[in-house]
Amino acid sequence: MSPGQRRLFEFVLDNLVWFILFVVLAIFSAFVPNYFQPQIFINIIEQSTVLGVMSIGLAIVIIAGHMDLSVESVAALSAMVTGMMFASAGIGMDIPLSPGWLKVPASLAAGLAVGGLIGLLNGVLVVKVKLDAFIVTLASFIWVRGTVVALSGGRSAQGLASEIRWFAIQRVFGLPLSAYIAILCFVVFSVMMMKTRFGRHLTLIGGNETAAFRAGIKVNKVLITAFVMAGMISALAGWLLAIRTSGATANLGLGMLFQAFAAVVIGGVSLKGGIGGVPGVYAGVLLLSSINTAINLLHLPAEYTQVIQGLLVLAAVLLDTLKHTIRKRLA
Amino acid sequence: MKRTLTFGAMALAGAMTIAQAGYAQDSKGTVYYLVPTLLDEFQTGSITALEMFLGQVGYDMETLNADNKTDLQQTQMNDVIALAPDAIILAAVDFNALAPGVEAARAAGIPVVIFDRQIDSVESDFTSVAGTIEMGYTAAAEVQRLLTERNGAVEGKVLQILGDPGDPYTLDIQQGFEEVMADFPEVTIITHPAMQWEASNAGTIAANQIVTDPDIDIIFSHAAHLSVAVVAALESAGKAPGDVYVMSSNGAPVGLDLIRQGWMQSEVEQPLYAQAAAVAMFMDKVVNHEEIADGEYDVIGLPSVVTHEAWGATIKIPGAAINAENVDNPTFWGNLQPPADPVTPVE
Repeated sequence: MSPGQRRLFEFVLDNLVWFILFVVLAIFSAFVPNYFQPQIFINIIEQSTVLGVMSIGLAIVIIAGHMDLSVESVAALSAMVTGMMFASAGIGMDIPLSPGWLKVPASLAAGLAVGGLIGLLNGVLVVKVKLDAFIVTLASFIWVRGTVVALSGGRSAQGLASEIRWFAIQRVFGLPLSAYIAILCFVVFSVMMMKTRFGRHLTLIGGNETAAFRAGIKVNKVLITAFVMAGMISALAGWLLAIRTSGATANLGLGMLFQAFAAVVIGGVSLKGGIGGVPGVYAGVLLLSSINTAINLLHLPAEYTQVIQGLLVLAAVLLDTLKHTIRKRLA
Repeated sequence: MKRTLTFGAMALAGAMTIAQAGYAQDSKGTVYYLVPTLLDEFQTGSITALEMFLGQVGYDMETLNADNKTDLQQTQMNDVIALAPDAIILAAVDFNALAPGVEAARAAGIPVVIFDRQIDSVESDFTSVAGTIEMGYTAAAEVQRLLTERNGAVEGKVLQILGDPGDPYTLDIQQGFEEVMADFPEVTIITHPAMQWEASNAGTIAANQIVTDPDIDIIFSHAAHLSVAVVAALESAGKAPGDVYVMSSNGAPVGLDLIRQGWMQSEVEQPLYAQAAAVAMFMDKVVNHEEIADGEYDVIGLPSVVTHEAWGATIKIPGAAINAENVDNPTFWGNLQPPADPVTPVE
């Protein structure tokens, strides 16, 4: 194999999920009625917003060699805090702020603070107290959702302030501003993981924590920062979710954890840690949204979505194994 | 010293006995309420309503939340039977899966009241429901009215958004709705479930369908909180209130707010206060295993009928269709104004 061919081959391997995404979109466009139209593609990107941002947080922790099952519940709590502060109906308090645009940073700050604190708690328990991340974040998944129910009393906060809903209403080239926020997150965190020292340390720690420690990397500090980041990113996802649904309900975001996991694995992130990147995760999110949309348009039972997502995750893991085998042979 | 201590202990024991007797005179007994979930406004409202009305007729109430898990509710049923309460009120996660639990409770001498989610596969001591299938009928009548208002005839396109497809509650509403709408072949019904009753799933369905079917006339969601996300999707797509008619069922406060804002045209109410009040009114008869006579009863101002079905005495209290004209009616539980007059037990 010539060096050029080898480079091309490795490029395809590294970005396999994007190629799969384009092939899937082409097939759906050809065979699913009403699929191939600009607004459907815009919808897919828009519907990927919340899941996409949530998946970034999850991916960062998994790449670092750990787990964060609390992302969904943190997003729900952030959404509920936003709704309770600035929704005008239900349990919304419609806190007055002047000028009105201050509601945007205030709600965002409140959500990020909540997410950051939960992330910090998770990080300290995992890193300092040496508890298993799966158990710690599973507990967080449960108690944080319980907090949402307790705070809301099972009720809804509805009618989010127009200043905050603005991000869902205002569109540029047909896409709402909230979608651009998600795309910006993917760009920023992709650059962080690939080009910054923190990102490289995170990946090294995920690959071999002991070796990273011995190389002089401040492992504990990096890991705790990763958990805090995951909490804050999940909170941002929750804020976007509240914007999307103009409020919050006690069961908002239910089921997104599994979808985030599926997107992360499909995107090429290894559950063992140390392998994977954020761009692939976005492709995974778009792939899931594309399939979800096709199932809706085909009027297939919604359970098909879960069956297909599960099979996709399996296929992604098998493909990943195949990729490593091929790389070893090429080397 | 010894005499003082003995006297003190006797006085304390006596005081506790008197206090307990006094407490027993205030409470006729304890009733357990098995609620399916706390993630739904109707269910959390039902706890408050049942507690209030049962308190008015002299009963204490304890609540156990099943978190939408059938196996958990089955376990809770078994645990509560062991506690031997005066009665169990059950709003089942899965209507038929709890049938053995109902039988076991009754075999242990504990009367069982079925609340909101009718179980017709096993006998119970009393059932108080709006009737989920009947809610579907009411929704169908509202769709006919709205289509006639919009198109001049009962023709057009309806997007029906269910709750979780594993929930018999939403399937019953669908059954009742589609049974009636089958008589109108000019109406196309597109149905999609919002998995796990999650609002953003409903928003996604609405956002996609208004692109592929821009001629949708009505979006009918099986819960008001789903309509919130639907309205958000319509707003994001540049629609104004009334461009697409919106309907939902359960009567939650958010639904009534959407009616006031002009986004929603109709809400089929589950008469929560009346359903809960009926339970309290008949609780003495249930606890004492007395016969409940068929007939008409006034339940907080709503004329309601008790009939004897294969599964036992049943009161079905039909829910009203709420619209802009009657949205402020205080009897609708979504206005969160419980009745001022206490309920009294049926003699």
